[in-house]
Amino acid sequence: MKFLDLFRLIFGNLSRRKARVALTAIGVVIGTAAVVILVSLAIGLQKSATDQLYGIGDLTQIDVMPTYGGGFGGGGGPMMAVAIGPGGDKTQLDQPVLLTNSALKQLRDIPGVKVVIPRDYLNANVMVRYQRLEGGMNFIGIATDDLSNLGLEASQGVTTLSKASIVIGSMASNNFYDPHLRPGQEPPPPPDLMDQQIQLVVIKWDQNGNETRKTLSLRVAGILKETGGEPDYSVYLPLELTKSLNEWANGIRINYNKDGYSQVIVKVEDANQALDIADQITAMGFQAITPQSYLQGINSFFVVLQVIFGGVGAIALLVAAIGIANTMAMSILERTREIGLMKAVGATNRDVLSIFLGEAAGIGFIGGLGGIVIGWLAAQGMNVLAIVYLAGQASQQGGPPPSVAVYTPIWLPVFALIFSTLIGMLSGLYPALRAATMIPVNALKYE
Amino acid sequence: MTSPLIRIRGLTKHYQMGGTVVRALDGVDLDIEAHTFTVVMGPSGSGKSSLLYLLGGLDRSTSGEISINGERLDQMDENALALFRRRTMGFIFQSYNLITSMDALENVAFPMQFSGISVAERKEKSGKLLEQVGLSDRSHHRPSELSGGQQQRVAVARALVNNPSLILADEPTGNLDTLSGVAVMQLLSDLHRSGRTVLVVTHDPRMTRFATHKIFLLDCHVVSEDEYKSATMEMALTGNES
Repeated sequence: MKFLDLFRLIFGNLSRRKARVALTAIGVVIGTAAVVILVSLAIGLQKSATDQLYGIGDLTQIDVMPTYGGGFGGGGGPMMAVAIGPGGDKTQLDQPVLLTNSALKQLRDIPGVKVVIPRDYLNANVMVRYQRLEGGMNFIGIATDDLSNLGLEASQGVTTLSKASIVIGSMASNNFYDPHLRPGQEPPPPPDLMDQQIQLVVIKWDQNGNETRKTLSLRVAGILKETGGEPDYSVYLPLELTKSLNEWANGIRINYNKDGYSQVIVKVEDANQALDIADQITAMGFQAITPQSYLQGINSFFVVLQVIFGGVGAIALLVAAIGIANTMAMSILERTREIGLMKAVGATNRDVLSIFLGEAAGIGFIGGLGGIVIGWLAAQGMNVLAIVYLAGQASQQGGPPPSVAVYTPIWLPVFALIFSTLIGMLSGLYPALRAATMIPVNALKYE
Repeated sequence: MTSPLIRIRGLTKHYQMGGTVVRALDGVDLDIEAHTFTVVMGPSGSGKSSLLYLLGGLDRSTSGEISINGERLDQMDENALALFRRRTMGFIFQSYNLITSMDALENVAFPMQFSGISVAERKEKSGKLLEQVGLSDRSHHRPSELSGGQQQRVAVARALVNNPSLILADEPTGNLDTLSGVAVMQLLSDLHRSGRTVLVVTHDPRMTRFATHKIFLLDCHVVSEDEYKSATMEMALTGNES
C-alpha cells in the first residue's frame, strides 16, 4: 500500500467520525497544552535567571581563593583540604595551597589568562562620614591602579586609584544617612560624592574596651557605571591601604608572600575559556569560582524543573492516551466487518495495522496541533501578565525588569507535536494489533 | 489431461465451540476445473460456507490440502495469502459488506487502494465496472440509498476490480427478492462466459440452472446429486434440516 493512499484512507476514516475524533483529541489538546505551557514556564524562568546572572557576573572573571588545610581545630590530625571545582569535583589535598606571589605567577602563566589581580576586603569596624551624613560600605582593596583592568567603567571621573583617592560604585552613596534626623523628618537625598572628600573612620577596641579611632580623608576620584552586582555598593581603594588598615585594626602583621592573598581575581581573554581555565586552577589546588559555574548549577536545576513540569503535562497526555486507546478499541469493534472485508480484498496484516495505527497517530497529531496553538497562546498571555507584574515589582525593589517570563523555544512545539503523535500511535498499538491479526472469516461474520 | 484449477484433498475443518468440537468439513476431496460455473448446494450447517472461506484463504483448515493454480493455500503465511487473494480472487457476500460511509464508486475502488493503482485509474476502472453492472447513474449514491439488488451489483463490481480469475460468492442472492436474485445470478453467469471461474455457495435450488457444475454437501461430506435429493426430500418430510 502506497503511503499517499494510506494517508488518504486514514484522513478519510477520521473525517468520517469527526465528533468522536474531536472528543478524543480534546484530551490530547489539554495534555499537549499543559506540556507546552509548563515547559515554557520553566524555560522562561531559567532564561530570566540566567539573563540576570549574566548581567550581574562578569563572565571573563574567575574568583580564586586559597585552600586551607582541613585540619583546623582538628586536634592534630593530618592537614587535609578539599578543593571544589566549578563542576563540583573534589580533590583531596594534603596541605594548604596559598595564593602567594609565586602562585600568582603560575596563574599568570596559564594560557588565556589576561591579568591576575589580588584583592582583599577591609575587615574592620569602619564608618564613612560626609559632612553631617554617616554610612557603612563594602571596602575592597585591589592590587591594580586602574579598575578598567577588571572591566569596570566610570560614569563620572576616572577608574584609576591613588594613595589618597577612591572609586565608588553607582549605589554607594545610597548608604548614607543622617544620624541627627528627627522622627518625621524627610531623609536627605543621596549625596553627590564626585570629587568630594569623605572620611574613613576605622574603630578598634582594646581588651579593656577602650576605643581607638583612625581617620583618613579620601577623595572620590570616580563613580562607576551600574553593573547590577557587587561593585555597585562597594568602595575600591588600593590594596596596600587595605592591608595597613587591616593590620592596624586587627593588630596583626600580614605577609602576602608567606600567608598569601585571601582572594585573587583572574581575568581571562575569552569568556568561553573561563570554565576550562577555572578547571585548571582547581587542578592546581585552589578554589575557583566563575559565574559560569553558578550558571551550570542553575541550568541543571532548571533542567530538572523542566522535566518535572513536562512530566506533569505528560500525565495529562497519558490520560488522553487511555482515551485514544478506548476510542480505537471501540472503533475496531464497530468496524470488524470492514476489517474482514479489507482482508478479503487483499489487505495484508501490515496494511490493516498501518491504517489503525495511523488513525490513532492522527488523533494524537490533531490533538497535539490544537494543544500547541492553545499552549502557545496561553504562554504568550501569561508572559504579558507576568512581565507587567514583575516589572512593577522590579520598579518597587530597584532591580532590572525581566525581559521574558514564559519562553517557548521553537523545538518545544515540534517536540510536543511529535510526542503527542507518538503517544497516539502507542495507545493505538494494542487495538491495531488486534485488528491486524483478526481471522478474516471471523471478522466478516462478526455481528 | 490438464490439472484442475482447484484441487482439494482430505480437507477437514473442525471448530471448537466451548467444550465440544463441531465438524464443518470432514475429509473432502474435490476438483474444480477452470472456466466453470460451479454451484455448491447444501442445507444449513452442511459446511458449504466453510468450504468457500477455506478456498478463499479467509480461514485455516484443520487438515488437508487446498491448491489453486498449483499453489498450496494451506502452506501459505498470512501475508502470502493476502497477496494471493488480491491478485486471484474476488468475493461476493450475502450481506454485501459495503462500507456505508462510501458511495458506490468509492466502494468499488476500495480494493485497489491496496494494489498501488493510481487514483485516476481507480476512478476510471470503477466507473466502467459500475456501468457494466448497470449502475453508472448511481455511482455517487451511498449503500443506504440503493436497493438490496443494487448493493449486490456494486459488490459484484467490487469483486471484479482487481480482475480476478476466480469469483467466490457466498449466498449472493440470500438477501434478495427473486427478481434481483436472478439478475445477480445472470451477472455472475456473464462473468463465467467472459472466461472467469465462478463458484457460488447457495441453498436455493433455482440457482442451479446457471451452473455448469454442481457440488452437493451433506453432513460435512460431498455427496452425489441423487443422495442429496433423497436426503433433502427426507428432511422436508420429517421437517428436520440437518
